[in-house]
Amino acid sequence: MIVTRRIVLRIAAIVFFAVLLQTSFLSYLEVAGTIPDMLPVVVVCLGLLGGGVVGAVCGFATGLLVDAILLQTLGITSLALLSVGYLAGRYREGFEISNSLTPPLLAGGFTIVAATAFAVLQLMLGVDAAVSLLVVRDIFVQGLSAFVLAIAIYPLIRRTLRPALVEEGAGSRVLTEGRGARRRARRSARGPRIRRRVAT
Amino acid sequence: MYRKQIRRRRAVLVGLIVACLVLLSLSFSEARSGPIHSLQKGLATITAPISEGASVALKPARDLIGWFDDTFSAQGENDELVAELAATRAELARAQGAIEDNEELRDQLGLPTDGELGSYEPVTARVIGRSSTVWYSSVQIDTGSSAGLAVDDPVQTGDGLVGRISDVTATTSTISLITDPRNAVTAEVIDGDARAPWGVVEAEVGNPETLYLDFIENEAEVEKDQILITAGWSDGRLSSAYPPGIEIGRIENAEVGQGDFQEVEVRPFVDMRELEYVQVLTGGPDRGELVK
Repeated sequence: MIVTRRIVLRIAAIVFFAVLLQTSFLSYLEVAGTIPDMLPVVVVCLGLLGGGVVGAVCGFATGLLVDAILLQTLGITSLALLSVGYLAGRYREGFEISNSLTPPLLAGGFTIVAATAFAVLQLMLGVDAAVSLLVVRDIFVQGLSAFVLAIAIYPLIRRTLRPALVEEGAGSRVLTEGRGARRRARRSARGPRIRRRVAT
Repeated sequence: MYRKQIRRRRAVLVGLIVACLVLLSLSFSEARSGPIHSLQKGLATITAPISEGASVALKPARDLIGWFDDTFSAQGENDELVAELAATRAELARAQGAIEDNEELRDQLGLPTDGELGSYEPVTARVIGRSSTVWYSSVQIDTGSSAGLAVDDPVQTGDGLVGRISDVTATTSTISLITDPRNAVTAEVIDGDARAPWGVVEAEVGNPETLYLDFIENEAEVEKDQILITAGWSDGRLSSAYPPGIEIGRIENAEVGQGDFQEVEVRPFVDMRELEYVQVLTGGPDRGELVK
């Protein structure tokens, strides 16, 4: 990703809008007794599109913003989200995203990692009350809802950040999916088309 | 060149992790008036109007989803409510008689009314945000210290007890709900007997729909469908954060426990998921050192 000042502003707007949507809308909904969380999904998508550093910084900023808005203990959400943002970015740097199902699957998996990291941090800091086993169910349902949310969120973020995304040829690695991108990649692999002149 | 990139990436990662740990330790060690908390409150104050706007704008979408949800569960609820209404009418008649007797006897004995519901001034506030994790059961409201709200003020709705103010800025406040595992309420079981059992209502992490009434002895008579209200105790120096008489919930299940106390499950009257407006009870008596 080519990070320009305009792209930084777009990423900041995405993060801010996601935090607002989460605290003012999604937190009121329940899916199988669990509140869906779009924040790890957004951070993972930004990591998958921008790489490790972008993922980590966005995770940190998202966690800080949500903790500040809700007056929660600072640092816990940031630590959990920056970990998954960085891991998602490292995945993108090491592997090819060739299937349109890969981002939602990764978002679901990394959301489970983020929720588990959050739970472990809370337990390490000390919880006076009893902990129900329903926490485990909560983590897995959040992972499933993240998978569904990412189906819509990943293309939206990709479209918003399109000017900054680097498209490589089919000979190396294709960083963007979609029918158009694949067609362009095949064309560039074949080389320039030569038209035959027909004698009349 | 590539190595330099890797070093820079690692430096950013380590820097962010250290920043998180510093914030975490400062959040725990610092006083409420410290610089990190002040910064956090400043940021919350700045973003409050935007949160409020977003909450209002997204209300129709929330209501639409809530409507579908309510429609599916309405039939079952209707039958339950008809039965509950008949029982409540009989209870109301008895309660009104008891209130009159109580007031008359208090006048005769000259007992103070400090700490009772009547001595509080209610302030209505709109819910503008809520936490999405089961580890924090809290909501944010659009009213703060400028309207007279203070930390530990009790919060209720028409249905019953919601929680207490856990943090306050000039224009917003955070309510720690009774379903938050860090909250506990001294409660009394209503059974029409003068010696009703008292216990402590607590929540469990990961299970916000059920509360647990602890410290009810195995010999005490507690049964399904009994109602819990705040006990609001005071010994002159220490007192509960909650005034007496606010309804908390209904007993769902009571079983003899393995130790000395029963295992009592309580369903709260207030549906915390559908909170739109709440009433903060401000200006209560000076309780000295508070016990929740």
